[in-house]
Amino acid sequence: MFIQQIINGLTLGSVYALIALGYTMVYGILQLINFAHGEIYMIGAYMAVIALGVLTATGLTAVNLPLSIFLVFIISGLFCGAYGLTLERIAYRPLRHAHRLSPLISAIGMSIFLQNYVMLTQDTVDKVFPHIIPATGLELAGASISYLQIFILAASFILMTALHLFIKKTRLGKAMRATSQDSRMASLVGINVDSVIAVTFVIGSILAAAAGVMVAMYYGSVNFFIGYSAGIKAFTAAVLGGIGNIPGAMLGGLLLGLVEGLGASYISSEYKDVFAFLILILVLIFRPTGLLGERVGEKV
Amino acid sequence: MKKLKIAFLLFIIPFSLFTLFTGCAKKEDTIKIGVAGPMTGDQAKMGTDLKNGVELAVSEWNEKGGVLGKKIELFVEDDQHDPKLAVTVANKLSNSGAAGVIGHWNSSASIPASEVYKDRGNIPMITPASTNPQLTERGFENVFRVCGRDDQQGKIAAEFVAKNLKIKKVAIIHDKTTYGQGLADEFKKALVNETEVVYYGVVIQGDKDFRAVLTSIKDKKPALIYFGGIYPEAGLLVKQAKELGIKAPFMSGDGTIDKEFIKIAGKENAEGTYLTFSPDPLKIPAAKSFLDKYHAKYGEHGPYSIYAYDAANILLTGISKAGAIDGKKVRDAIHILAYDGALGTVQFDKKGDVLKAPYIVWVTKDGEFKEFKQTTSD
Repeated sequence: MFIQQIINGLTLGSVYALIALGYTMVYGILQLINFAHGEIYMIGAYMAVIALGVLTATGLTAVNLPLSIFLVFIISGLFCGAYGLTLERIAYRPLRHAHRLSPLISAIGMSIFLQNYVMLTQDTVDKVFPHIIPATGLELAGASISYLQIFILAASFILMTALHLFIKKTRLGKAMRATSQDSRMASLVGINVDSVIAVTFVIGSILAAAAGVMVAMYYGSVNFFIGYSAGIKAFTAAVLGGIGNIPGAMLGGLLLGLVEGLGASYISSEYKDVFAFLILILVLIFRPTGLLGERVGEKV
Repeated sequence: MKKLKIAFLLFIIPFSLFTLFTGCAKKEDTIKIGVAGPMTGDQAKMGTDLKNGVELAVSEWNEKGGVLGKKIELFVEDDQHDPKLAVTVANKLSNSGAAGVIGHWNSSASIPASEVYKDRGNIPMITPASTNPQLTERGFENVFRVCGRDDQQGKIAAEFVAKNLKIKKVAIIHDKTTYGQGLADEFKKALVNETEVVYYGVVIQGDKDFRAVLTSIKDKKPALIYFGGIYPEAGLLVKQAKELGIKAPFMSGDGTIDKEFIKIAGKENAEGTYLTFSPDPLKIPAAKSFLDKYHAKYGEHGPYSIYAYDAANILLTGISKAGAIDGKKVRDAIHILAYDGALGTVQFDKKGDVLKAPYIVWVTKDGEFKEFKQTTSD
């Protein structure tokens, strides 16, 4: 049972980690907590249901399931990337030089807007993700790991590695690091700060979309409200790992998933959500910079 | 200048229409009936079934000239299965002068709302679906229900598990709502001495990941999982249990009898799940004309449409027997009524419960809910 809980926790945690990356990247560059990020994840989950419905109608899912799932990821990623870009453009860029609180309020406004927009256009009833992925898996020491769980773990790992390499090895990644250290200095040496910020939002949104698609497949149903709790938990994960720190977000997500899974099974399932927020409070009291965060002083 | 005129017109037209409509409503005297239930949210399907059933009954009465010589006007209110909102809705309906209310759907909404209706002039309320015993155990004379009670339902389920399935170990989960916890506890109470309860736990309504609870259950190796709750969680529980390799059958109460349950769980996962509900209305001869009319107007009927229809008819019959829209008079008229409706004859006892509440066991077969039939080998 312990192994099973670890696997469940890691699966959940890798999803949190993917969402947390979006929070942490944006914070690293803008010192802004993008509260609408959870809604991007929710839209990603909805896009998965819609895209798969369209692909099923064309008959592709019956012919080639892996290809259609790949396409679902691509479609959802494209849409969410576009949402992220638009979000930055209309809600944050005009407020770039405003008081620190203004973009934060704008973020909360966008979150409420997107939630209600999805509720009105997609109805309030839970949408069911078609049961096309077989629930089979491996048996390991009394624990059953479904292929879907393996897929989620592997896909998250690949995406996180890709992100890590992108930031460490590419020119654009270097520009992002430079902007996060000092955006004015970065602009003086010829980095287009606006486009770097836009790229950050797009990448964060694509990762959230991937998390959304995987959650839609894993849980089997989505509604307009899932972005709220997932967003807050991913935010906790980002704070736990040290906000602004990319490996920290990955670590924080995985730890949070484990704590939630183990806490719910060994302590009380009633308090499942409490564990996440307990961690948030403890981290903020005892280690405000997070596990891997360096001291940033006045930035926080 | 022209622009200003247009703007003025745009402003004035809606407002004049508004006053026109309110003027009309005041002049035309109507009898107001409230319908309250979860009209939006994850349980919206149930609210819509409820509303449709009542709407059908009211339109039939209106075609015949209404009640007490007045047309009937329907007020549909959404409580989002939230106890706090249910109280707000109840106050709103009382303020608008409702002569009676059909609802609410969830026990957790019906119980607090019933207090409002009682205090605001004994407005009769007939719930088509709230099964928690507490609802009619508080001596409120204005509260009725046309469905059964969880102590009856839990007992039938427990007997079925112990005697028919001969199961020795069960796990019980509930969703912490008045209905879910009430049903789970009644089931547990009725199991005494027959079957061992190896796990008793809670899931949170609205949550989507139940693997932590299910993994703990798997460890305890029960022969059956009983769930007190509603279909959105029940469907996910069944699906995720199968994914974790739990083979124990799943049983629940009347809150899961909806096609959405099978859709969420997946057809093959839902196969062989049990639940308790009243007998199939398709087999009650009296229900035929109701079902025909309902299907023509709204399509497929929900499990509680027929209850909502009968509840509305009982309320309107009560009003016409009482001869006034006085809460106390209508309430007393309903107490002595023996109504022949789509569900057969409905009569209430002193508490407001139906005299006979038949619960039977249903099983899911080939993606459909079917009445469970005892195999001859048993």
